[in-house]
Amino acid sequence: MRQAGIYSGILCGKNGPHSLPLSRIKKIMKQSGEDVKMISCEAPLVFAKACELFIEELTARAYKVTMQGKRRTLQREDIAAAVTATDLFDFLLEMVSASVINDGRTTTEST
Amino acid sequence: MASPGDGSRENGEHSPRSNVREQDRFLPVANISRIMKKALPANGKIAKDAKETTQECVSEFISFITSEASEKCQREKRKTINGDDLLSAMATLGFEEYIEPLKLYLQKYREMEGDSKLSTKVADNAGKREATGLQVANQPGTSTQVELKMPNHSSFAHGMTYMQSQFHGGDLSG
Repeated sequence: MRQAGIYSGILCGKNGPHSLPLSRIKKIMKQSGEDVKMISCEAPLVFAKACELFIEELTARAYKVTMQGKRRTLQREDIAAAVTATDLFDFLLEMVSASVINDGRTTTEST
Repeated sequence: MASPGDGSRENGEHSPRSNVREQDRFLPVANISRIMKKALPANGKIAKDAKETTQECVSEFISFITSEASEKCQREKRKTINGDDLLSAMATLGFEEYIEPLKLYLQKYREMEGDSKLSTKVADNAGKREATGLQVANQPGTSTQVELKMPNHSSFAHGMTYMQSQFHGGDLSG
């Protein structure tokens, strides 16, 4: 009766039908504050889907900027422009502007 | 424009424990790029820097929502952040449009969870609830209620014992 179907990994933190790894999501959640200690097993699952929606929305908005510039390759500047133009993405403002001026990645890499 | 409390949240952005490995701070770029492509026309391309920026944005999104949910939990004196906390945090922060699809998704997950390993328990609980209702309605005796209100898996069995004891003159109540 019950086969190892598409949902078989859903309970144990494997990828299953999700496009994003739940264990990594959990790690990122825990890094967001000292108070974040206990997380229900449903929470990373909610984020797996929410991040998908978020990525799709951000990409679609950024690609509009790409097309306005008569280009076909989505670039970082397009994302920055989309973030600036969308109130919903205000929380990303500081990050995209910082990463355009100087790549935040290389400076924060030091251990 | 900016939601209140933005500033304090942004401050923590790059500070979380400096010994966190780079690959633990972000979701895998391959997965992210796959999702990005879904939002593009077939002839659209994505530069590497755009993928990396999206990667950073996603981590920021997770932290943004989690911080809000965590504050809510603290206000309500709860320790575990659950799915509903995240949904209400998203609603607070302007992501109302995500709520409906997420609820559907959660519902599907809960059904799957119920089907695969909790089906027997759920059935038990339903039976217990019926039995409890019956007992309380028929017999508002104090000892019965105390026993049945205990959130204990054996309370169903207790209830049954009690019910039988009623028929047998109550000599099994001890």
